[in-house]
Amino acid sequence: MNFSEFQNQSRLYVIGTLEPEELEEFERARKKFGKKAEEFITKCYALHEAFALSLRPAKASAAIKDRLMAMVKAKQET
Amino acid sequence: MGRSKLIASTNRKPKKRVRLAKPPGRPRSVAPQLEPGAPSDLDLMRGIQAEDPDALSQLYDRYNGILKALILRVIHNEAEADDLLQEIFMEIWNQAKNFSAQKGKPLGWMVTLARRRAIDGLRKKQAYARAEERLQNETEQQPDAWVHNATEEEIVLSDTRALIQKVIRGLPPAQQQAIDLAFFRGMSQREIAAKTNTPLGTVKTRLELGLKKIYDGLKELRDEL
Repeated sequence: MNFSEFQNQSRLYVIGTLEPEELEEFERARKKFGKKAEEFITKCYALHEAFALSLRPAKASAAIKDRLMAMVKAKQET
Repeated sequence: MGRSKLIASTNRKPKKRVRLAKPPGRPRSVAPQLEPGAPSDLDLMRGIQAEDPDALSQLYDRYNGILKALILRVIHNEAEADDLLQEIFMEIWNQAKNFSAQKGKPLGWMVTLARRRAIDGLRKKQAYARAEERLQNETEQQPDAWVHNATEEEIVLSDTRALIQKVIRGLPPAQQQAIDLAFFRGMSQREIAAKTNTPLGTVKTRLELGLKKIYDGLKELRDEL
């Protein structure tokens, strides 16, 4: 697998759509390309952020934050 | 699914005019604009790592809308989405020590975590069929109503959202659908092929081409991401 093919596979990898047999080959290429590969994969995770930011924000119920903060407080006290 | 959510949500006419040009004197950013003096996301993550509840509270205020929208896109149920949102922010609190700024930005980390939890939740509850039915009904009856409780202000697209949607809208519908099923439904290539009655190789090509176009289209924003 050359680096251009690795880049294509990386974009599939970060959204979890590599098939098992592709995943093995991808991991081998990942080792082969080393740091360069890791840097590219990190950049690909920006796709996650972009997809989320493409959505219109939805409002959570007001009680959720209260419950969350109560759980955090309880956890800190234990 | 007659038409993917991604297509349905991006092809509709905006309710207000969207400004796509870069505002003068303001750097274009994909992250929501912060008030002057407000702590950065990284500051808040460091606060959470130091077990400061106020940091979590601020991060929640900043991103609960985005994360809930993402969860809703996966599970299509308001009550379940609220519960999951709470669990995800609790996980952010518990797992903050695992966050590393060298591996990406806080929002990316949170989105990855939220997406995984939402897809896991969907699978655990074996809700694919029910979600499918809801999705179909929502698309047919109220194509604009996939996000509930949206205020008029929330309906106005931000620069960021408009830019990203512009990139996504530029894809052929088949590529949008493949990405939608993969990202928001957590489907494998084989599952997408079966669902869309498309050869596996075609699905792979659609995903590769579509993701590359989005990735390249976001190049201008990538550093900010």
